[in-house]
Amino acid sequence: MWLSSIAYYFFYPSFFIPVIFPGLIFILIALLFTIWAERKFAAKVQMRFGPFYASKRLGGFLQLVADMIKFAFSEIIVPREVNKTLFILGPILITGFSLVPISVIPISSIPQTGSILSPYYGVFHDTYSSLSLFSAVLTPYSLALAIALTSVVSVLVILTAWVTNNRFAMISGIREGYLSVSYDALITISIIGIALEFHSLDISKIVTAGIPGIIANPLAAIVFLIGMLMGSSRFPFDITEADSELVTGPYTEYSGLLFVMTMAGSYILNFAYSLIFADVFLGGWTPLTGFPGALLTVVKAMIVLLLSVFMRSVYGRYRIDQALRGSWKYVFPAALASVILGLVVGPWIR
Amino acid sequence: MTSGLEGMLSGTGMEVEVVPVEGELNVGPQHPGSGHMRILVKLNGDIIEDVDLDVGYVHRSVEKLSENRNYIHLIPLVERPAILDSIHMNLGYVMAVEKILGVDVPPRAQYLRSFAAEVNRIASHLYGMGILAVFMGHSTGFMWGFGDREVWVEILQALTGARVTNSYIIPGGVRRDLSPAIKEMTEKGITYMRRKLEDWQKIFINNPNIKARMQGVGVMKREDAIRWGAVGPNLRASGVYYDVRKMEPYAAYDKLDFEVPVYKEGDAYARTLVRIEEIEQSMKMLEQILKEIPEGNILSDRFFRQIPPVRLKKWWEGQRRIVMPGYYASFRPPKGEAVSRVEAGRGELLYYVVSDGSSKPYRLRMITPSYRLIYVFKELAKGCRYADLVTVYGSLDYFPPEADR
Repeated sequence: MWLSSIAYYFFYPSFFIPVIFPGLIFILIALLFTIWAERKFAAKVQMRFGPFYASKRLGGFLQLVADMIKFAFSEIIVPREVNKTLFILGPILITGFSLVPISVIPISSIPQTGSILSPYYGVFHDTYSSLSLFSAVLTPYSLALAIALTSVVSVLVILTAWVTNNRFAMISGIREGYLSVSYDALITISIIGIALEFHSLDISKIVTAGIPGIIANPLAAIVFLIGMLMGSSRFPFDITEADSELVTGPYTEYSGLLFVMTMAGSYILNFAYSLIFADVFLGGWTPLTGFPGALLTVVKAMIVLLLSVFMRSVYGRYRIDQALRGSWKYVFPAALASVILGLVVGPWIR
Repeated sequence: MTSGLEGMLSGTGMEVEVVPVEGELNVGPQHPGSGHMRILVKLNGDIIEDVDLDVGYVHRSVEKLSENRNYIHLIPLVERPAILDSIHMNLGYVMAVEKILGVDVPPRAQYLRSFAAEVNRIASHLYGMGILAVFMGHSTGFMWGFGDREVWVEILQALTGARVTNSYIIPGGVRRDLSPAIKEMTEKGITYMRRKLEDWQKIFINNPNIKARMQGVGVMKREDAIRWGAVGPNLRASGVYYDVRKMEPYAAYDKLDFEVPVYKEGDAYARTLVRIEEIEQSMKMLEQILKEIPEGNILSDRFFRQIPPVRLKKWWEGQRRIVMPGYYASFRPPKGEAVSRVEAGRGELLYYVVSDGSSKPYRLRMITPSYRLIYVFKELAKGCRYADLVTVYGSLDYFPPEADR
């Protein structure tokens, strides 16, 4: 009896999604895996072993844990002339706000019976799409809300860069400002294209439309992917954190656990983007439902995440003016074209 | 960009006042993209207005120290400024000393000098390209540069006994002879590198990202290259046919058939292409050397005769190694002065040695290729974007310790 009531609260989507899966705890493990895989893939391309000595049997899987422990015990140095509160809040806010979008993205649908999630069928019943959704927050505008929440992070990065009071951070803050304007435009317009095509801003309606977005509107998928790479500072748009030019950009003065948070922030944001991509463009949880459906969505998102971190071993880094010119001159028209494509194809869907 | 915006908006009622954002940036000496120096960058927005190179962080005082050391003891010292190009550093110095001594070097030793020099040139170019790649964020190029360099460093180790500070070349010849095992190693290395260069083309040279970063960046015109005193691959990328190996052949270069790659563009990309082609030419030369190397001694008879028979038996017979008696280290050359020039990995390297008849040089002057690049770097960086600073730096293959000496 009491066990089942604990289970009820444990699996309650508003708690389970942000905190356990695919929220905080899962993300920590996923980050371990992603960064390890990123380094191992890159090592394979680059004729070396990658992480190896920390836990030899696991192929160096625990290297990041070792790094984390090292960072956790190292001193957090706060420069004398910065605003202490904001300096410490910066990375925390970046990491926190990268996590927020995950709570509005529906991960799976809830079947009426036979699933561990079935007790929430009535509670999380979305009258708009007449589905029960495995989502922390139920909203018919989940797509718009998720995109809006991801775009907050770039403002916080600029805040961090400004509060650091370091010239390299300042320059990278300006770069992030320029970039965020362009990638937010790209992502938003491609999402508008998709929304027009599927007649909905609700992710669940797009997923259950039966046709994945990447087939319905491949142009929007490409534009979104490029915007995602820019938005989460992945190669070849690693411009704000360009280490050979700007040390580590906005995070130059950070050390210890705060530095870990700045590093984790961009990965978490990338994961949030990947979740949106998996839902909107890759068909999300269909044809599964319940918990397996959630697993399927997350696996798709992980594949997108791994693809975007793999870019590191192929590309260098574009210059800020090249990235801006490229995004406004070539990708922006493509985004507009994806809207037109959405308008044209839209009537046939459903 | 600024003027473009003003021009676009003028007369539309939307004029904006573009305020130039000027500031100075201390890049280095503790910076991932600075090397052992401080680059004082004056920025206007994203455009570099002026660059001031604060060099000297790794000054070793080679020239002054050399007035207090024996000629032989100087060999390890003159190598130190550019340990990744140490054969050339060593070769230039020894050639100047040999001119004062008036020693003839046997042909086999000359070939071996060319051999070691070309192996070292490949290693040095790969190192430079690796650094260039990581400056542009291309980590694969960085790892490949250093990984492929290892092949050539291993060959140098087999030949000379040391990976980087070889001290291989001594007045009168070289220290060790070529063995069949090293020959085989080199042939394998050449085959490997030829295959690998194709991969380099795919992932680095023809990568659209890398092309976009390098083409038209840091353009050095022909006249500027001559006026600013650029040397080596950087000069040849600006359309000047100049190579000391062709102009004043030393070692075995007059007998070797090779071409000097020249590009007209003068940008960072051309400089990289010159290096890639030089690697190919060097491998061509290595093949010729392996084929044509004459038999004979590797040390001038004048010095060879001084080796006691016991030592000859222990080191020379079987191992083919030269181990000179201790007093060789304190030889006294006649009074005189000499200038030598060699084409080092980064360009022309000049030595000027004055002897006053004692066992120590009266004066040693070395003008390293990177030393001449300081001004070139300063001039080229002007007008670039801030992100191009490291591209220019890497494409010039500027090596701070070599410049500081």
